[in-house]
Order: sequence, then structure tokens, then C-alpha cells
Amino acid sequence: MLAKLTKISTAVAMGATMMAGAISAPAMAAEKATLTLVSEMKPAWVRNFNPLTVTSRLATTNQFIYEPLLIVNEIKGGEVVYRLANKHYFSEDLKTVFFELKKDVKWSDGESFNADDVVYSLGLAAEGGAFDVAGIGSKISGVKKVDDFKVAVELAEVNTGVVSEIVRAPIVAEHVFSKQADLATFANENPVGTGPFTQVDTFTPQLYVQCRNPNYYEADKLAVDCIKMPQLANNDQLLAAAIKGDLDWTSAFIPDIDRVLVSQNKHYHYWFPAAGSASFMVNFKTPNENNAKAFNDVNFRRAFSMALDRQAIVDIAGYGYWSVNEYPDALGDQFKAWANPDVAAKYGKYSKFNIEGAKKLLKEAGYKDVDGDGFVENKDGSKIEFKILVPNGWSDFVNTVQIGVEGLQEVGINASVSTPEFSILNEKVMSADFDAQFTNYFAGPDPYMYYNTAFHSEQMDKARFGGHHNVDKELDALIDGFNKTGDQDEKLKIVYQIQEKIGSNQTTMAAMSTNYNYQYNTKRFTGWFNESNPQARPVVWPDTPERLLHVLNLKPVK
Amino acid sequence: MGFILRRLVFYFGAFLVAVVINFFLPRMMPGDPVDAMLAQGARFTAEQIANLRLTFGVDQPLYQQFFTYLGDVFTLELGNSTFFSNMPVAEVLGNAFWWTLFLTGTATVLAFIFGATLGIVAAWYRGGKFDSFASPLSLVLQATPQLVFGIVVLFSLGVTWDLIPISYAYDPELTPTFSWEFIKNVLHHSIGPIFCIFIVQLGGFLVPMRNNMINLLNEDYITMGKAKGLSNTRVMLNYGARNAILPSVTALSMALGFVVGGALVVEVIFNYQGLGSVLYNAIINRDYQLIQGQLLIMTVFMLAFNFLADVLYVFLDPRLRKGGK
Repeated sequence: MLAKLTKISTAVAMGATMMAGAISAPAMAAEKATLTLVSEMKPAWVRNFNPLTVTSRLATTNQFIYEPLLIVNEIKGGEVVYRLANKHYFSEDLKTVFFELKKDVKWSDGESFNADDVVYSLGLAAEGGAFDVAGIGSKISGVKKVDDFKVAVELAEVNTGVVSEIVRAPIVAEHVFSKQADLATFANENPVGTGPFTQVDTFTPQLYVQCRNPNYYEADKLAVDCIKMPQLANNDQLLAAAIKGDLDWTSAFIPDIDRVLVSQNKHYHYWFPAAGSASFMVNFKTPNENNAKAFNDVNFRRAFSMALDRQAIVDIAGYGYWSVNEYPDALGDQFKAWANPDVAAKYGKYSKFNIEGAKKLLKEAGYKDVDGDGFVENKDGSKIEFKILVPNGWSDFVNTVQIGVEGLQEVGINASVSTPEFSILNEKVMSADFDAQFTNYFAGPDPYMYYNTAFHSEQMDKARFGGHHNVDKELDALIDGFNKTGDQDEKLKIVYQIQEKIGSNQTTMAAMSTNYNYQYNTKRFTGWFNESNPQARPVVWPDTPERLLHVLNLKPVK
Repeated sequence: MGFILRRLVFYFGAFLVAVVINFFLPRMMPGDPVDAMLAQGARFTAEQIANLRLTFGVDQPLYQQFFTYLGDVFTLELGNSTFFSNMPVAEVLGNAFWWTLFLTGTATVLAFIFGATLGIVAAWYRGGKFDSFASPLSLVLQATPQLVFGIVVLFSLGVTWDLIPISYAYDPELTPTFSWEFIKNVLHHSIGPIFCIFIVQLGGFLVPMRNNMINLLNEDYITMGKAKGLSNTRVMLNYGARNAILPSVTALSMALGFVVGGALVVEVIFNYQGLGSVLYNAIINRDYQLIQGQLLIMTVFMLAFNFLADVLYVFLDPRLRKGGK
């Protein structure tokens, strides 16, 4: 969740010495170890635990009720943690993935879990359409049962990175789901799951509680008896409840957290591991002819990059939660192990804040202030003037662009900030009808997702990430090649080549690596993931499968 | 009777126009429900996004959606909300309706009673200490956005002094029952929002009441009343106020019509589960069905209360009753 409504949050903080009772102290059965978490913010809870309805299901449905086959631990370079499966491997031609299943897993109603459930669930995904919630329909061509505890997933084409996507498809109970007339309207109010918290204990529009699965296969590892979800509509309410000490596990954006939260409640701690990177970019295909001349010149882009005061962006716009990103291809610290040192040596200087260097570079490349307005013009005297788009209300990003613009203006580039509503921005960027923008990226277990969404020409009209619209077929081929091999050294070699291409071209201008937001309360539970215990991504939002490992690691304070 | 019939025909026409606008207005906003999810930082691949659009049914042609909608309006079928996890719109609005009616209704009626009374007093003693203090103050209050009151009240009474709750219509761990404990809880939670709506509306009733009254106080029949030796109270209330209150009745009906719009800002600030919060969330999340349903209710209420004002006028003002003759 990005920094929306920050102003109000800050205001809460300033007045917050004592918070009024939003949620009264836990009056639950005291003997049960109950963990209070916020995994989504909604105006009211509606009872729906059907994981196939992405827009209706509650955020505690996946993992907590429906365990995945395995979890790809992103923070540990994609290390696999087996859950319902205990082994997976590719066929020799890399066209089939086999999953071998654990034999001692039971559904919460006592039925045993086996290959039929997996074949049914992945079969739904393979059909594509509304129930393909993981978006893998076009990537897999069939799902077959090999024996009671082994499943073969046939791939449409070789894709060694597909496992992390396949395991995001929820594995549901065949004996329950196959009997439903319409899966789209099935609310699954009393779920039958494989996960730790399948029993819905309390359910009101303002609060619901899920308790221990009586047949949980890892019951001996599970020390949390129930998870409790209070309804909170926005960040301000979340913060108020956190300060009171009502919440144990949250992943909200809280500005200036040391002063606002930690100083108010000594049990509260946080950890902000590095997440995906974020970059500025100019649109190579901008409809503005004069801007296009500059945007298509690598020296102009390098000067742009050198004008960005990355440390100020991290410290001021990011409250110090982010980290400076000086990678020529904006890869970021998250994937440090994949970085090509040659590329950093050759082009790194263009990704470091250097006002004088930027001015010099512009001058050498022939950009001059002809009309004396303080801003440079193209070699032919035509004006360069553009707006950098950033979504309205994403206040931390708006501040980032503001700082970027200050640097750009200082080196003589006439840039300003524009904050259209997200959907307008999205449409303009995808259709190449804009000059420049600032965007974040989502990162997967390896750099593939970043490179593919940010630089592959097929992705440019599908999301805002490839907004530079610089088509490079050789780069496309390199990116496609990454998942055509299972060999790690081969992959690294490909990534090195990708970096050389992007770095030498300064396709985007890296600013920072963002962070995962995560706050935890040590009053009732220990075993939290943090800097000294960095086992996995610590976030509680539903798109973080690692949260299952996290909850299994928690122990109540005696 | 002709007068009322003519009004009825007019209102029906207005209703039809509103129904059409209600459909197109939300769809003219850029983006759709899926964009709204992306805007909140949801992480989806291009293929997942395409699948989501199927779920929402936003890929149907507009004219087809429009005719479905028209049929639905006249059969009172409001569809399902996308944001409230597929809950029927009627249910979402039904739940929120009573809270808003309670909140804004109470505030509006209180504002009318206090505003009109104070306006009468201010007019009677015009130029006096009370008038020169209360009238400008009420204008200032009326001109202050609810946002300002909401935040000030939330942080002073709610956060700093911890006197009122800052969220919800009642404690989420209480089960709604008809008990004093529950009612007390509801009342406690409503103090902040009711006060914020009340204070802003107060001036809206006080100032017009005062001005009407002042105009009337120069009329001959007031002088006559005084000359007959009637008590001040009697002249003030029966001769002055009874006539001056007419325009305020219209204002009250209009305000009651607005009641179901909810006090959007105040409800959002206090996380009060009324129609205002619902509309706010529906707009932010491009929940077309819900926006339509809410606008429809607002239209119906607005027209109904306007009609009520017309009828009341006929009842209160004999000139209209005999207008035709």
C-alpha cells in the first residue's frame, strides 16, 4: 500500500499522545494465543473465503486457510520452502514440472489431501479466465495426475521461472469445490482448508476471528491459536489502533515511524527490507517533437540521471525507509548478487548525483540556453519543456519527483511535476501519450519480473512500467532467454548482457529501492522476522505467501 | 389539487433525467474497478488484470450496460457491489441508510430547531448584543468546511482529550442489541460527527430565519398586534415567526433530502459506516453499481422531500391553496 492520505496520518501523529478507543482491549478467551493482524483495509467485512474470487475473498484466505504447494522465498534469492508438496522438478526437456505431494496432509474436515485436489485446482487455472487468479492459463497447457501423490503440469513453452507463478494458484478442496453450481458466487463461508486457521470463530462486519485447524499437518509447529482481524478502513485508524497496542502485525505506511509510533508504544518495532526499485523515465516516443529530440539522446538521459539527488530523495521523500539506487539498470540492492561489476564501473558515474557533471555533459552535447530563460534548448534552438507524471495521492512518490525536478531545474532542464489520477496516468503511459514519468516496479524472486515488465517491448502497452517505449529486439530476446534455461550460470550471463544493454543506453534513470512496510508488536508474541532474523519477507498483505512461514515462527510471550 | 399534480409530473421528468445521468456520470470518470485496485498498489501481472476485468464485467458494451441498468431501476434491482465483496447493493445501502438517517437526520433537525429559534430571537432583538454576536458567528461557522471541523473535533476531543471515540458507529466488539449499554455506546460514538454536521448547518437556518423575520416585523399586522397589547412572545411567535418560517421549511426539506447523501466528509473522518462513507469508497473504487444505487436513493429522496415541501406550503400558506381562484 502506498502512501495515501499521509497528511492526515501525520496530523494523527502530532496530536497522538493518548488515543481514543477504536477497538477495545482484547476480550477474547484469555487462554488462547490470539494474534491481531491487518492484512487488508476495508469499510466492512463480508464473509467470503473463496480464494477463486479475488475481489471478494478475505485477505486471510490464501495461506492461512489454503496452503500453497511451496513458497518461493524472495528474500533468500528464490529458495524453495516446501508446503503441500515435498519435491518438485522439471522433465529433461523442461516442458513439464512434476510436483510430489506430502502424504500426511489432511483437509480440516478430516478428508485426506491428494493429487485430485491439485489436479482440480490447477485445472481451473489452466482453463484461464476468471478463476485463473494467478494468471497462468496461457503458460500451462495441461495438468495430469501421475499417481495419488504426484502431479505433472505441462507447460505451453519452456519457462523455468514458472514454478513461482504456478504455486500462486490456490489449492482448494476438490470434494467441496467441484460440488458448487457456480464458483463465482460461492462464498465458502465455512471453509475446508489445509492451512493453520480454518475455523471461523467470530464473524461481524467489524471483526472476524479464525482459529486453529483441528487437522493441521504441522500442528506441532503452530503456537498461535487464533488470528483476529479488526476492520480498519484506512491508515489513520490503523495507526490509532497500533498506538493503543491493539495490533500485533501490520504492514502499513506510517510516516516518520520512530516519532509517530515507536516512541508512543515501546512494544512496537519495525523492519523495512528493500523491495522493488523505482525510476524516472522519459518517453522515447513522446508526441512532442522537440522533447523527443532530447529524450532520444543518451547524453541528455545521462544528465537527467546525474541531476537526481538520490540521498535527499531517500531521506526526505522516503523518511529514510528506502535505499539509494545507483545501479545503471536500476536493479537495486535486492538483487545485488546479480549485478555486473563491469557495467557499474563503466556507467556507474552517470547514476551518481553530480550537478556540475550534468551541466558539463549537457554543454558538451550541445544543449544551450539560447533564449536566456535559464533552461537549455536543443541544438537547433527548439524548446525542451516537460512534465513528469506521478499518481495523485502517492505522496511519497510526489515528493520524490519534486526533489528530482529541483535538481533538473538546477542543471537547466525545464521539468515540472504533474499529478494526474492513477488511471489517467496509466492510460497515458501505456499509449505513449506523455513526456516523462516516475514509477516503481514489482520484484519477484529473481530479476526476471523486473526486466520483463520494465524493458520487454511486449509489456509496454500492458502496464506503466515500460513507459520509456524504447523497443530493443535484442534485449527482448535476452529477457526471453532467461527462463529458457535451468542453468544458474547461464542465467547470470544473460543478466550481465541485459545490464550492459540497459546501462549503456541509460534507458531509465534509477532513483531508489523502495521498502516493504512491516511493523510488529512484541508484547504478546516473539519470533518476529527482523534484521537479525531475516528469514523471509515479513509483510502480512495477501500477496506475500511468506507470511505463512512467519506465523509458524511466532510464539506467545509467557 | 391541480398544483400538486403539475408538481408530480415535473418531478417524474426530473427523476428520468437524473436516472440517465446517474448511469453515465460514474462511467465518465477515468479508469475502472481494476484500475482502482492497481492504484492502491495491488500487484497483478498483465494476464491477471485481463482475468479480473472478466470478473467485473466491465468489458460489455456501454449501451448494453445502460439498458440492463434501466430495466433494473424500474424493477428496483440494484445489482451487486464490486467493492463490498459482491454484497447486493440494496443490502450495502440498507445497512448504511439507518446510520446516516440517524446521524444527519438528528443533526439537521437539531440545527433547524436551534437555528430557527435563535434566528427568531436574533431578529426580535436585532442590533442587540446577541444578534451582533450570534449572526456573524453563525455565518463564519457555515462558511467553515466540515473537513476543518471534523479534523479539529477528531484531534481535540477524540485524540488529545480522549473524550469521544474516533471510529465506528459503535464498539466493534459489541453485538447490536436493544439494550441501554448498546444505545449508550451508539450515542457516545455519534457525538463527534453529529456535532460537526450540526454546527455547520446551524447558520444555514439561523440567518435566513432572522432575515425573513426582520422583513416581517415591519408589517402592519405586527404593529397592530403590538398595539392590541399582546405579549411580546405572542407577537414574536404567532404573528412573526409563523409567517417567517415558510422559507425555512423549504430549506429544511431540502436539507432532509440531502440527508441520505450522508455527510460524506464527516463520515469518512470518523469512519462512520453511513451512506457518505459508502459513496466515498464506491467512487474511489469505481464501484459503478454502488454509485448508481446511492445516486438513485439520493435522487428519490431529494425529489420526495421537495414534493413534501410543496405540499406543506399549500398547507401552511392559504394563498397557495386558493391560488387558482
